[in-house]
Amino acid sequence: MLLRLDFNSDVPIYQQIRNQVVTAIASGELKPGEKLPTVRALAEEAGINMMTASKAYQLLKAEGCVTTGRRDGAVVRIPERGVSPPTMDGLRLRICELRLAGMGKEEILELCGKIFDEEVSGR
Amino acid sequence: MTLFWSIILWGCMIWLVPVMYFMLKNECKPKKNIIVGVTLPYEAQQDEAVLALLERYKKEMKITCLASLAAVVPGLFISDVGIAMTALMLWTVAICLVFFIPYVRCNMALQKLKAERGWRRDAEDASQAVTDLKAAAAEMRWLSPWWFLPPFIISLIPLFFDRSIWGLWMFDAAMVPICYLCYRYLYRSRAEVVDENSQRTIALTQIRRYNWGKCWVVAAWATGFLNVGMWLTSEHIWLCMAVILVYGLAVSMAVIGIEFRVRRLQEKLTADSGRGYYVDEDDHWIWGMMYYNPNDTRLLVNARIGINSTFNMARRSGQVIMGLILAVLLACPLAGVWMIGMEHAPVELEVTETELVGSHYGGHWSVALADIAEAEIIEELPRLTRTMGTGLSTACTGQFSSGEWGRVTLCINPQAGPWLLVKDSNGKLFLFGASEEGAVEKIAASLTAAGAWPQGGRAIP
Repeated sequence: MLLRLDFNSDVPIYQQIRNQVVTAIASGELKPGEKLPTVRALAEEAGINMMTASKAYQLLKAEGCVTTGRRDGAVVRIPERGVSPPTMDGLRLRICELRLAGMGKEEILELCGKIFDEEVSGR
Repeated sequence: MTLFWSIILWGCMIWLVPVMYFMLKNECKPKKNIIVGVTLPYEAQQDEAVLALLERYKKEMKITCLASLAAVVPGLFISDVGIAMTALMLWTVAICLVFFIPYVRCNMALQKLKAERGWRRDAEDASQAVTDLKAAAAEMRWLSPWWFLPPFIISLIPLFFDRSIWGLWMFDAAMVPICYLCYRYLYRSRAEVVDENSQRTIALTQIRRYNWGKCWVVAAWATGFLNVGMWLTSEHIWLCMAVILVYGLAVSMAVIGIEFRVRRLQEKLTADSGRGYYVDEDDHWIWGMMYYNPNDTRLLVNARIGINSTFNMARRSGQVIMGLILAVLLACPLAGVWMIGMEHAPVELEVTETELVGSHYGGHWSVALADIAEAEIIEELPRLTRTMGTGLSTACTGQFSSGEWGRVTLCINPQAGPWLLVKDSNGKLFLFGASEEGAVEKIAASLTAAGAWPQGGRAIP
């Protein structure tokens, strides 16, 4: 799996790592039990600070997407069913934005369905 | 300097020309989708305009190679050692730079063509970095330090038999652990990402890591045997120099051979890459040679050309190191200028209140007057072999040995006799001389006046 980090983006690097790992797990590109690099290896590979790599892993661990061990580094896992409060808040905000853009319930559901299908089919 | 020695002198450096030629010519073959430092998609690699540029590049490299070899010919006929050394150093620096002129020309032409034909990946600009997570997670196995222990032990052998120049043996022996440290800590650990194929990336990375280790193991073992070779030939200076030359050539050839092998494997493994997605980091490379990426925290990165790594020029430490390397390279001709000065500086001899001091070009060799046990004026020099020091036609200084006397410390002009042979109370021999005519006789008179000329000393003026 290729991690593409954009250093000019407004999205912080740790957030970009988190987002791309979550997307890869959802699309099946990263499978449960698969090893991720250690914090040091990820920092060296991407040429980023160790703290940034560590922060990304902490976020993924808090969301249940990875487990981390002292020796093995991070391992991919599927988060337990259910929506976390931050995801719920994010979803609410996006729905509000779409409503402000003039979209109705049907249109929003249709758009969500389309995006879901794209993600499942791997675009 | 005779023509024979000129050939030996230039022969020590002339191998640089074919090495530079073949290494840079090899950049024409696509490796990891990179040709002459420019990343190109698969279809562009067979484009007629690209092939024409590569043909021109090869032709220019051939001309550079022939011109470099032709420049050696006048150098062979320089008789003055200092001037010959200066010419050799200037030529060496020129060789290190001149081969990059066609390289940079071709790189810039290819970059221009790439932009014109739309082969540039706009989505990936200088602000982006690509990392293969699976390859980064692959386990990196380092060679055991035990591989470096036997050569270290071998390099210590001379110490048990000859402690007279223990500093040299220790210095050489220290090179073996340094080889291990270089292997372990100078490696740029980034995976060799070419495209989305993680297996390919892992294979390319493993090849690079394995051969990196091989280079340092070869260097460590060769260094171990160098010490033994130097010890066995220490009494025969030319044999000793031959051993050092063979060592230098063997290590260089082994490393270059390994690098060529790595490049061939890279070429083979990435032959079908670049059709879909491929990694393009050209925006981080100046002329395909110098890495400049302010977003990258690493100092060492994989070099696009040549052996080993290069430095990130966006980092202050990278700029300082590259500046120092360039300064050392450009200062090399100064060694020749220094030698011209050394060749023309007079050898002087004087008696102070307490010492007999020989000096030449900033170096001093002395014996306390109270320690002089024997002294003799020599009219003819025996056959002397240099162990450590300077051996010019106008000045011989440092440690020498002779069949007749054994080890002797010299500060003489071999062309200007007579010379003063002195033995101190510890049995150590010194041979002093002076460039000025009659100086040695005057010194002998001064020694006599000072009461330092030993009883039984011959040729008392």
